[in-house]
Amino acid sequence: MFLRLVADSFTRRPRRKILSMAALAMGMAVATAALSVSLDVGDRLAREFRSLGANLLVTPEADSLPLEIGGVDYRPANAGTYLPEADLGKLKTIFWRFNIIAFAPILQSPGQMLVGDASSPKPSDFSDIQIIGTWTNHAVPIPDGTTYVTGIEKTNPWWSVEGRWFREGARECVVGKALAKKKGVQIGDQVLLNVPDPLKKVQAFAPYTITGVLSTGATEEDAVVVSLDDAQKLTRLPQVYRRLYVSALTKPEDAFARKDPKAMSPEEFDKWYCTPYISSIALQISEELKGTDVRVIRRVAEGEGQVLSRVRTLLWLVTFAALLAAALAVGASAAASVIERRTEIGLMKALGANSGLVGVLLAAEQLLLAFVGGGLGYAVGILLARVLGERIFGFTPEPKLFVLLIILGLAAAITLLGSAFPLRQAARYDPAPILRGE
Amino acid sequence: MAGFSMFWRIERRLLTTNYGRLFVILLALGAGAAVTSALLNLQVDAKKRLTTEFRALGANVIVTPRQTTDKDAAGTTLDQNLLAEIPSVYEGKPVLAVGFLYVIGEVAKAGQVHFEPAVIAGTEGAGLTQVRPGKRTEYLANLESDPSACEVGVKAAEQFKVHAGDELQLRNQGKSASCKVFAVVATGGAEDTQVFTKLKTAQELSDLKGRLSLIQLSVTATPDSVRAFVAALGQKLPDASVGGIKQFAEAESRIYNRISGLLTSTVLLVLLLTSLCVMAGMSNVAVERKNDVGLMKAIGGSVRRVVRLFLTEAILLGIGGGLIGSAVGIVVSIWLGKTVFGVAAQPRWIVYPLSVSLTVIVSILSAFPLRRLASIRPASVFRGEE
Repeated sequence: MFLRLVADSFTRRPRRKILSMAALAMGMAVATAALSVSLDVGDRLAREFRSLGANLLVTPEADSLPLEIGGVDYRPANAGTYLPEADLGKLKTIFWRFNIIAFAPILQSPGQMLVGDASSPKPSDFSDIQIIGTWTNHAVPIPDGTTYVTGIEKTNPWWSVEGRWFREGARECVVGKALAKKKGVQIGDQVLLNVPDPLKKVQAFAPYTITGVLSTGATEEDAVVVSLDDAQKLTRLPQVYRRLYVSALTKPEDAFARKDPKAMSPEEFDKWYCTPYISSIALQISEELKGTDVRVIRRVAEGEGQVLSRVRTLLWLVTFAALLAAALAVGASAAASVIERRTEIGLMKALGANSGLVGVLLAAEQLLLAFVGGGLGYAVGILLARVLGERIFGFTPEPKLFVLLIILGLAAAITLLGSAFPLRQAARYDPAPILRGE
Repeated sequence: MAGFSMFWRIERRLLTTNYGRLFVILLALGAGAAVTSALLNLQVDAKKRLTTEFRALGANVIVTPRQTTDKDAAGTTLDQNLLAEIPSVYEGKPVLAVGFLYVIGEVAKAGQVHFEPAVIAGTEGAGLTQVRPGKRTEYLANLESDPSACEVGVKAAEQFKVHAGDELQLRNQGKSASCKVFAVVATGGAEDTQVFTKLKTAQELSDLKGRLSLIQLSVTATPDSVRAFVAALGQKLPDASVGGIKQFAEAESRIYNRISGLLTSTVLLVLLLTSLCVMAGMSNVAVERKNDVGLMKAIGGSVRRVVRLFLTEAILLGIGGGLIGSAVGIVVSIWLGKTVFGVAAQPRWIVYPLSVSLTVIVSILSAFPLRRLASIRPASVFRGEE
């Protein structure tokens, strides 16, 4: 009889049930979409922030003080110490290796460029320039036997090349925009490069073909960029680099991250070490690359952390607002459907049903409605989240099972809560006046 | 006249006979209005606030001498007076401008005779810490105002073995000076190896009186406005080259667009679905009015009149729910702004009428199913048929 009553209420008045269910499904669709997007968007945004460039800088530990102004090191080429290139694969063996999304070593040296006729050069054909050696699209061997492709175009995404980047081992180079303009060289031209060797009387210039013009908005526009390998040959410093830029996905620093790791208890240290804070990743890198000093590029790391944590809070708030609005609207609709059925409740009570039975009957109906409407809303919400994710970030949020569980739970809780208040009133109804239509 | 007062009497009865229903409808409409106004207000505010947050990245505009030679860093310099020509306020937000003069000099701790080369950066202007973001690992506030105070990068401090409170000797081409270290700063960039002095000290050391190497600016505005600022300042300072710092400008505008796109679409989505939700809930109630309509029609009410009656009810409910809900929403958004950005959101009054009218529109639309009432046959209603 109980089930028949419930079933009847659905089949006899389908229109009303459909309307209630639509309200519920829509509310839950908003909730699902908002939840799915906010769960995934943090990671997406963190990745987006990597377009700010590297957030870690690795330099030799025992180095002389760099005389760096605006990205140009004014130390003589032979001053200071270097780091071995062969170690770089170890970066992908640290605990948070998957969070390291790009790295690029730099070997920079003052040098000379010769444009024009190499057989009888005029003094004006020579120019003092900075030669930057780095990786582009370079396959790094990782100790586990695989290779990892990375390079400067990933760590410094704002470096844009008109033409194309040089190929490794092909004696190609990319010249800075300002330099190309000043010297009147173009893509396809050949330039001669050399880093003067004080021990030799006759300097040997090596020919390089220009494959692209680089614009960075900074001093690199006055420089020539070659592959790290070529820079090592030019500077006669085999297998080394001087600076390494690392771009890592990190968790914004919170109060815990700001604690001094040395003052932490072993449990705290483990927790800190196993959280992708920028400081713990820096420590892990310095453990792998011996003799290095790993520094956090503060303006990038802190700017990122600050904006990211704000945006996350903001998104959660919007999600919460969506949930709240959905809850209120669904609750109101549930309450309305109970209020509308006063006559029915009166009749049932007149026929001898007690308040408890009436309550259970209505609750069963509402729950059924909640599950069907919630499930439907979830499906619509996932579609919405997809559209949102693809439109804004070009990614598809993964449907998550626990979102479904949350949504169903929420739908059930809200409809029950929404009906509880009018039900309590209904329990006090005196059947007679209701049936009389008063 | 009689018909008019009758209309309102019926209207009053419609609204007040069932307080439970009235409460439920007002709750649904009010919740929708509150979310609408809170999100609209917060959205406008959040976008503005984000530009401020981005300034944690430091300088975003740089003024350099028009010609740079590759050889000598101090080869060409700027006139120090340019600093005064930079507007101090842009779009109501302060513009921070710091002039730098770089000198490659020699540095040693006081009492030491072994000097080592280091970059000495003389700075002048407000907001060095904002233009050059970093973390001060050591800081003595009482020394900061000292005329010979200087700040040392971590790497340089390590090299010269100095701490806050120590004294440094600086020299360059026969000139010498000394300064008191008031802070040690870690930025992760080239600044870690530099010594920051007052501009005058660097100018005296380098014999470049009244000159600057470059000016760094932190302009708080949306990426498009910053571009406009750069163009305007470039015209104002014809002798210098003014440019945005590409590394941050590009990433900033990208991230800003993503976030504001996300906010706008989430808010739109929430608004759309909230109104659909409210509509569905309201329609449920509207269908229940069958009996009333049947009775009205039976005693000779025209369909038009009946529909007008219910539309008026919907509008009144919309205004009521909208006025209360939107006000609540704005108060909530002020509080939310405080939670997210630490600063109370500015209430934007345009949001209030906007969200009230949206609510009224939604409530009128929710009365849409009433259209079906026109086809109601009073007789079948009274017989209890559906």
